[in-house]
This record gives sequence, C-alpha cells and structure tokens, in this order.
Amino acid sequence: MSGARDLIINGCDTLPKLFLKNSAAWGDRIAMREKDFGIWQSYTWNDYREYAGSIAFGLLSLGLKRNDAVSILSEDCKEWLFADIGGLLAGGVINGIYPTFQSNQVEYTLTDSACRFLFVEDEEQLDKYLEVEDALPNIEKVFVFDWKGLRGFEHDKVQAIEVLYERGAEYGRDRPSLLDEIAEQGTRDDLAILIYTSGTTGRPKGAMLPQRYIVAQMMSAPDYIRQTASDEILTYLPLCHVAERIFSGWLPIAHGATINFAESPETVMQNLQELSPTYIFAVPRVWEKFYSRVTTAMSEATWIGKKAYEIALAAGTRRAEKLLAGVKPTLMDEIRFQIANRLVFSNIKKTLGLDRAHSLATGAAPISESLLKWYLSMGLPLDELYGQTETGIVTTTRKGVFRLGTVGPIVPPAELKIDTSGEILIRSPYQFDGYLNLPDKTATTIIDGWVHTGDIGTLDDEGNLSITDRLKDIIITAGGKNITPSLMENELKFSPFISDAVVIGDRRKYVTCLIMIDQENVEHYAQTHAVPFTDYKSLCAREEIVDLIGGIIDGINKGFSQAETLKKFRLIDVLLTAEDEELTPTMKLKRSFVNEKYSTLIESMYGG
Amino acid sequence: MNAPLLELRNIETYYGPIMAIRGVSLKVDEGEVVAVLGSNGAGKTTLLKTASGALDSRKGQVLLDGNEIQCRDPDWIARQGVAHVPEGREVFPFLTVDENLAMGAFNRRDKDGVAKDTATVFEYFPILKDLHAKMAGYLSGGQQQMLAIARGFLSRPRLLLLDEPSLGLSPALVAEIFAIIERLNKEQGLTILLVEQNANVALKASSRGYVMEVGGMVMDGTSDSLLESEDIKEFYLGKKDEGIRGRRRWKKRKTWR
Repeated sequence: MSGARDLIINGCDTLPKLFLKNSAAWGDRIAMREKDFGIWQSYTWNDYREYAGSIAFGLLSLGLKRNDAVSILSEDCKEWLFADIGGLLAGGVINGIYPTFQSNQVEYTLTDSACRFLFVEDEEQLDKYLEVEDALPNIEKVFVFDWKGLRGFEHDKVQAIEVLYERGAEYGRDRPSLLDEIAEQGTRDDLAILIYTSGTTGRPKGAMLPQRYIVAQMMSAPDYIRQTASDEILTYLPLCHVAERIFSGWLPIAHGATINFAESPETVMQNLQELSPTYIFAVPRVWEKFYSRVTTAMSEATWIGKKAYEIALAAGTRRAEKLLAGVKPTLMDEIRFQIANRLVFSNIKKTLGLDRAHSLATGAAPISESLLKWYLSMGLPLDELYGQTETGIVTTTRKGVFRLGTVGPIVPPAELKIDTSGEILIRSPYQFDGYLNLPDKTATTIIDGWVHTGDIGTLDDEGNLSITDRLKDIIITAGGKNITPSLMENELKFSPFISDAVVIGDRRKYVTCLIMIDQENVEHYAQTHAVPFTDYKSLCAREEIVDLIGGIIDGINKGFSQAETLKKFRLIDVLLTAEDEELTPTMKLKRSFVNEKYSTLIESMYGG
Repeated sequence: MNAPLLELRNIETYYGPIMAIRGVSLKVDEGEVVAVLGSNGAGKTTLLKTASGALDSRKGQVLLDGNEIQCRDPDWIARQGVAHVPEGREVFPFLTVDENLAMGAFNRRDKDGVAKDTATVFEYFPILKDLHAKMAGYLSGGQQQMLAIARGFLSRPRLLLLDEPSLGLSPALVAEIFAIIERLNKEQGLTILLVEQNANVALKASSRGYVMEVGGMVMDGTSDSLLESEDIKEFYLGKKDEGIRGRRRWKKRKTWR
C-alpha cells in the first residue's frame, strides 16, 4: 500500500517494537499513576514493561499464537493497559469489551473474535463470563485483576492475574530475548486491535485495526494532537473506545506523557480538579458539565460575584469574537482580557481543574458552537478532533486558527473528499482492514479504497471540514424539509438543565423532541424555586419543570426556521445509567433505541 | 381536597455548615402510616426533628393542616398535636413508669381523659401496667420503647413521629411493637410517620413509603410497590438473586425504579 512505508516512528513500525525501545529508554520515569486506598501510587516505564512482559510470557507459555484474540472486560485501570500491551507483545490481537455490556453482548464479541484468553476486572465482570461459559468453549483461561470476594472460589479456567504474572516471569527467565524476537517478526500490516463499534442497529461490528493504524495515530502527535512528553493526562473514558486508547494507550508510549487513572466514572470531575491535567481530551458531555457547573455557581453567587463574572465574560467574549472573525484583538482587548483572566477566569479554571492545561481537545460527538465560544472567551480554546474507529483521528483544528463549527483540515497522509450525496469519504494508508467476519459490511464501507464514514459534511475554501450530521440521522419531514437534528440537539444540550435530547420528525408533520434533564441542576432549580418533588419521576412530572424546559425550547426555536421549530416535547422520566441500553457507554442517548423504546411517548406528541 | 395532615416542602436542614437534608418533600394524610426508609446518615432523624421543631430548617416549609409551622418552638408544635418519640427511647430514667406517662400528658387539663388514656395504654402494653411503679431506668430496652410510645400517645396527638422503634430490639419484640403500632393506627385512628432502617417491618406496617439517601428522596410509592422494587430488595431486604456462583458479593448499581 502506498505511503504505508512512511509510517515509522522512532525507527519502529509496530507498537511492540516501539514499546520495548521506549520503555527501556525511559526506565525509571513515571508512566502511570493509580489510586490505591485513596493514595496515588506511581508505576515507572520499567514496571509497565515488567508487568506487560510477564503477561506476554504467561500467554506464550499457555500457547498463544500470533493473531490469537485476547479480550479485556474491565473499567480503566493499570492492569487494562498491562494486559493490552502484554497481549500485543505476545503477538495477539486485543479486543476491549465495554464493562457496561451485559453477558449476552460479552458472549457475542468473545465468540465472534474466537477469543482464547479473557481478562476480567473483578467478580462482577467474572460473573458475566460464568453466566455464558457453556457457550464459550474457545475460552481457555480467564484472568481476574482483582480477586477480592473470590477466596475459596475454584474453577479450572479462572485464575488471579498474579498467577499469570508469576508463570510469565518464570517462563521469561530462560528466554530473555523472546519478546524482541516476536516483535521483530511483526509487521505493520499485522492485525493488532479489534474494536466493536456499538451498533445502534443490529449486532456490533468488529473493526480490525492493523499495527500501522496505531503508528499513524502516534505520528499525529505532537503536531496535530498536541500531547507531549511533559504532559499529565487523566484516563477516564473507556479504554475499549478508540479515543481513550489513542490518548492514554498509544500516544504516551510514543511520546512519554504520564497517565493518571480516574478512580471511577463518577469521580471524573473531582479527579480532574485534583490533578489539573496539562492535556485534556474530553467528550462534549464533560465540557457541557463544566459549563453548567459554572452557570449554576454563578446563579448562586453574590451580587458582586455575578457582576464580576458578567464584566469578565463580556471582556472575554469581545476578544473571542475578534479571534473568531480572524481579526487581531487590539491591545485594549488583550489588557481587558488579562485583567478578567487574573481576577475571575483563573479562579474558575482552578476550581474546574483546567488551570494547568496547555491544550484542550474535544471529539467523539458534536459540540455546540455556543459552548466553544464560551471556552474561548475564558481563554481556553478547544481543539476539535474528528475521526471514527474505522479511520482514526483524521482532522484536527490547528493552533491559533479559530473556525467555529469546523473540525479542521485533514491530517496527512489521510485524504478526504465529499461525494455527491454529501457523505464524507476518507482514504489513508493506515485505515482499518474491514469488519471481522463481515465481508458484505466491509464492502459497503470501503469502496475503491475510500472509507464511507456515514457522516455528512462540507469543506470550506481553506479545507476545513464541518460535520452536518450522521447520514442516517437526517430528518426529512412529511413536508419534504431536510433537518439536521444534531444542530438543534446541541443547542438544547447547551442549557444547563438539559443533559441530552433527541429530535424526532422523520416522515412526520412537524418536529418534536425527547429531553433528558440534568438531574443535579434541575433539582437545584426546584429547590431554589420551592417546587416540591420526591424522586426523579415526580420531578419530571412537575408543571414548573415542564415549563422551564418549554421556555428553553421556545428560546431555541427563535433561531430556527418555521419548519424546524420544535412543536412539542416530552421529558424522559426514568433516570438512565450507563448500563441501560438507551445510553452509549459515554452517556449519549442512542437515537434508534430511543425511538423504539419511547414510541408511545413519541406518538403522544403526534396525537397517537 | 383537604390539605394533608403533615406536609414537608423542599426542606433543607443544616448542622452548622453541613447540609443534612438537601431538599425533601413528603406528605402524610390523616389516618395513614407512612414509612421513611434510609441507611445511617441518610437524614431520617433530622427529617423528623425538623418536622417536630427540634431543628429549624433553613429553607422550605413544614405544613400542619396546610398551615406553616416551621421554625416554631417544639413545645408549641407539640401542643398542636404532634408527638415525637425520639430515637433511642429517651425515657426519663429516674422517674417511674407512671410519672413518665404523666410527663407525656403534661399539657392536658382533662384529668378524666388522661386517666382513660392511661388505661388504654395499659391495655396495649400490659407489661407497663405490671411495672407501673418501677423506675423507667430499670426497664429493659423493649419495655422502654413501649413506654416511650405510650408516653407519646398520652399527649393524644394527631400525628405520632416514631424514630426507629426497632432499634436494638430482638426480632420477636420488634414484631410485637409493630403489631401494636398497627393497632394504634387502626383502633385509635392515630396518624403515624415512621422512620426505620428495618424496611421489612416498616413497609408491612405502613401504606406508603419514602426512601432517603444522603439527604434526598430517591423513591416513593405504596409500601407494596416498594417491597417489590429490585433495589429495595437488594439494598434493604438483603435479597439478592443468587448469581452464577451461588453467591454474589458485589452490589448492583442503584437505580431506584
């Protein structure tokens, strides 16, 4: 494949080669930190190599062959990466499984990938395997990271990870150069990673990512993805998602940043504040959360506090608008902004944990322009990244260039074009190799070497890409009007009271939406406005809350044309968690699933 | 529709800087037994103390018959017909059983009525009659709990606030006391707001229930529906589905549905 030969970083063309080289060179430098009983513990690159190496040797001693699948079913933790890298060093293929998956979904990916070895976090995840073990004869051994609660449990396939470490260390003692030899035999075209994309319709599809995909992503830093050796980052998105794998798995191995594991998905905000990372990648949901925190805090602030924030934001907005218009802010603008920053913004940044960050990035979902502008006003430009599992990160906004609403130009050597239907097509020497066991799906996704992303977008004359929406999400109303729901949904989510929204109206007379309220902020609103409620359901049923959301929708409707106006809405009165099928693991509502599950609620908006 | 006998709206109660209740609303209709469940530190006792005036809320209203009574003196609220049986019994240890009961009736002038009610109480708790001259401090825990409830009843309240009557008692005694609580409700028409950790007995004795967690309400419903809830079963009744290994130590995430 043309161009693939240029995919070399630090003289290496695969991750195992680079990992062995860099981890040896960095030795006692800290690679990662994880909390143990509330205290941060550090692990050096030597530790990283030792643990990953033991796992590799252990798997080899159990008979792992090149291209055998190894799966990991766990929340993020150091062992996740040890098993990931260990499996790759042994020549295996790694399949990360979402820890929120139910046992039947776990069974599907384990069968589809013909997995031989499984790593699970703890007894909770182990139980998912045990429930379906009869259907999984191909699984030879299961290793448990945390044996707590399993004392006395005996099963001939299940072992604690420590047993594997020991076994591997022993096996490796007589074969000091085995891992180097295996790495040397590896090529850039070897299959490395399987990523099952959470199929909103039908079964999940296992995207096959080769070694060169990893190397290419590593090469896009630090020029396009601005993560460097001195960075501290927080790992909190699922590592089985390609984005966190890039930021916390691959880029640190290539460039040496230190990763810190969030204690749990619930403590991300506290961990951010505590660590104040220097490079932050977050999904729009997190950026929205920061914003709504500040807005809520300001609504509670004293008169002076409110006024100060107002004046500071005005000064920041003035500068931001100049930057966005491509005009250099005047000296006066800069002075005003600096004062605002010193007196007001710096405190806000400190409380949010954004005070040390030199680079902030967003991706994995669309983000509202109003939100980007708010951050820029505080002197925090957000880089937008665009990509998908199949292509990797292929566009990024460039430093100092502000084009609101675009995700920036293409990152070479990838190429981009828009076809006649408006769909974004991507071609690169490192793109995915197709979907496992699904030649038909592969053939309809990669056509003449171009990956059909399923996204609709436009290019401006400077080559900046703007994403309109998912092709299949475009709403065509009964009146024949094309509507892009994500645009309206993002505006809705910008409200601190709305956590997520789904716009509905395909083949319907008018457009409506389902709203998931932000529990914390709406409860706070109810409290300050003396609206009695007991639980979440009763909160959603309160007229005052329905009116509150109605008011926000009216405001948003003003910015859209008549045909796009949201005529009706309903609140989803069940508090959803990541385990619920309505939500993706990153807590986004799944459109198709919502359409189905809440069909009666939806029909009630159309007189049904 | 008549106003509920007791209604709490958006109550926020603090201990100094610590917010113990962060926005709680509930209501109790005349003639009902309503249970409030919650683990230690959920704010159940604080809730009762706020209702009876022993603590003042910083925000929100307490309504008795639709009239605001929050932040009034506790003795004034007691005179309006709200009796509070505190957690841990709190009988007067150096007074006799009779004297303790008389303390319960301290604000009543109708001597005959008091005598009649004392007789009623002895009917419900015959053991107290046998021990009537004994100092309360010498009574067993169960007897003291009975005395505390009897003392509360002697003020002839319209609403009885009961704080963890099962605390530290044997299962047999708990069953006995709850049977009497149900009888007091049915036979004497006494409205009861009951705070409990023992979800099983509390939900069986009540018609409706609320669940509190870290200072807020997470669930409410009829007692029957709460008994059927998966989360109540797992977290309050200790019933877990067996799981694949015959035992499951890890806990599911609470959803309160």
